[in-house]
Amino acid sequence: MARWGMVIDLERCTGCQACTTACQLENTRLPGEHWQDVLFYNEGEYPSGKLSWLPRPCMHCENPSCVAVCPTRATYKTEDGVVLVNWDRCIGCRYCMIACPYGVRFYAEEKQKTQPDVRKVWPSDEGKIWNPPWAMPKHRQDMKRGIGVQPKNVVSKCTFCYHRVSQAPKGTPDLDPNDPKTRDFTPACVVTCAPNARWFGDLDNPNSKVRKLIAEKRGVRLNDQTGNRPQVYYLAGEAAAIPETRSVRRKEG
Amino acid sequence: MNISTTTTGRLALLDLESKPTPLNATLMLLGGIVGAISFAIVFWMLATEGHASFNTSSDVAWGAPIAYYLFFLLASSGLSIIASLDTVFGVKVFYPIAKRCVWLSIITLVTGFTLLALELGHPFRMLWAMPTGLQIKSPMWWMGVLYSIDFVLLLMKFYRLHQGDWESRHTHHLSVASFVICILAPGTLGLVFGMMAMRPAWYSPVMPMYFILTGFATATAFMLFIGSLAPRGTDTSPEMRLLNDEVLPRLFFLAVLAVVAMRFGQILTGLWSNYEGMEANWRALRHPLFYVELLGYMTALVLAAKTDWRASPGLQFVASVIFMIAMFSARLELLIVGQEVPLFKGYWAGYTNYWPSFTEWMLVPLGMGMFLFLYGAGDWLLRLNEARAPALQRR
Repeated sequence: MARWGMVIDLERCTGCQACTTACQLENTRLPGEHWQDVLFYNEGEYPSGKLSWLPRPCMHCENPSCVAVCPTRATYKTEDGVVLVNWDRCIGCRYCMIACPYGVRFYAEEKQKTQPDVRKVWPSDEGKIWNPPWAMPKHRQDMKRGIGVQPKNVVSKCTFCYHRVSQAPKGTPDLDPNDPKTRDFTPACVVTCAPNARWFGDLDNPNSKVRKLIAEKRGVRLNDQTGNRPQVYYLAGEAAAIPETRSVRRKEG
Repeated sequence: MNISTTTTGRLALLDLESKPTPLNATLMLLGGIVGAISFAIVFWMLATEGHASFNTSSDVAWGAPIAYYLFFLLASSGLSIIASLDTVFGVKVFYPIAKRCVWLSIITLVTGFTLLALELGHPFRMLWAMPTGLQIKSPMWWMGVLYSIDFVLLLMKFYRLHQGDWESRHTHHLSVASFVICILAPGTLGLVFGMMAMRPAWYSPVMPMYFILTGFATATAFMLFIGSLAPRGTDTSPEMRLLNDEVLPRLFFLAVLAVVAMRFGQILTGLWSNYEGMEANWRALRHPLFYVELLGYMTALVLAAKTDWRASPGLQFVASVIFMIAMFSARLELLIVGQEVPLFKGYWAGYTNYWPSFTEWMLVPLGMGMFLFLYGAGDWLLRLNEARAPALQRR
């Protein structure tokens, strides 16, 4: 069984947010609800100020704290290493959102950040949060895996586009968007990445590109001190660096 | 408050023949009206807007309703501990209020869980998804299990006391089990927060102790408040006088003192640390809730420090209400501080800015109304002034 993981090369990433947009459309997310986001950081001041960015999907941790805290087992990890939410079991307690060190979980029952409120523009009569005009076909939607247009009052998160990835032939080491045989099985954010900054493959397969990149280019995981052991690795290379990811910095003195 | 004693016979569950005292009628009327109006408002907002009528978001997942339910649930455990001082440890001076404490513990638990149900996305799904999920790694799962057991044990204990069975071995075993659970349940609730290493402002092995202690302190304030409502002139029993004028106020003073000492340690640790997430403690110093908490604790301490002040029903009322407001603020402050620094939202996001919405605030009168109504009804129909007799001679 594969153990899917992602590698993101910060040397190549331009912070264009195409991944964010592709994810929004693929997974019918609400505006501002970014399962896949690009975070921006600035350090220092003019003339030596520095702007950096960090693409951030769900880390699909090896040891996910969100799974451990979920009192109903609505959040679970699949055999191929993907963390999913069973929307039919979720009670909307949001403990997983508290416990996720990477802030990648969302609860759509909030005041909308953008207007008009698309939930009211395209209301659902099927108990869903909305009825988007571009939803994926119903036969691909899967409530037990948190895929598709979500019901009300449940938590949602990046699925590594499990509706695509789970269809890949067994034993595939890499899901390469440039290979026509695997393109349809590759997560939307990887497919759309213009500078080819993302790779997706089997972390346990010694022949996979992701594994080689992690070994050869010294892939690192974020916040490894939490013990969650993300399955998303970052390559900094020579021209980039992992930004200092503090959300706020206290001024000294 | 007169002590009537009941030692034998199976008694009717509800004392429908008695008439409510003016105090009972006032509490039920006030609680019923306030509770019904606020429930109607909350229900309407949830029906039309859903949880979008709350100010919670994907950055601030837990809002004020969680703080409210913490307040009531922890008070419930504290009240159960006070009841156990008599029924488990045989501290006879607490006999006159043991049954009342058990009832208060039950209704604060019911109120807390009602508020929680209004906060959850799918409260009814919880009833089957938690038992079938059996996620024993989750402190929240354990919290649900323990508080459910707590509720059942409290009902059983109250029923036995209501039947006049204070002395039997069964009642004693039931009381011991109830005491163990009323320590474990708030402790586990403390773990729900204290285990979260990714939320440094909450992460602490001391959190369970803090929850148990603050719950106990809140319970002493509840008892002082209830005691101060009863007209003293009608109460001639030396036991109640000893309890209301000396024991409870002293216990209240000590509990508040312990809470202040613990909070002092928490705040200093928070301000000293440079670990990410702890910046929230500096921000908390500029938050009005912190000063409500601080001033509330200090005022309550001063009012309970002097012997003749703490024996005065008027000042007891003031001190207990002020302390409850302070503790209520502390619960809300805890929720806000723990989520003040967002996790992985980029440097541009800055601090989160959360303040409860109108709908969230409406849950406060809803909870208080429900509590007052249930207490008034219990005091009227359930003979809460019963005690094992003769109490003082057994000291």
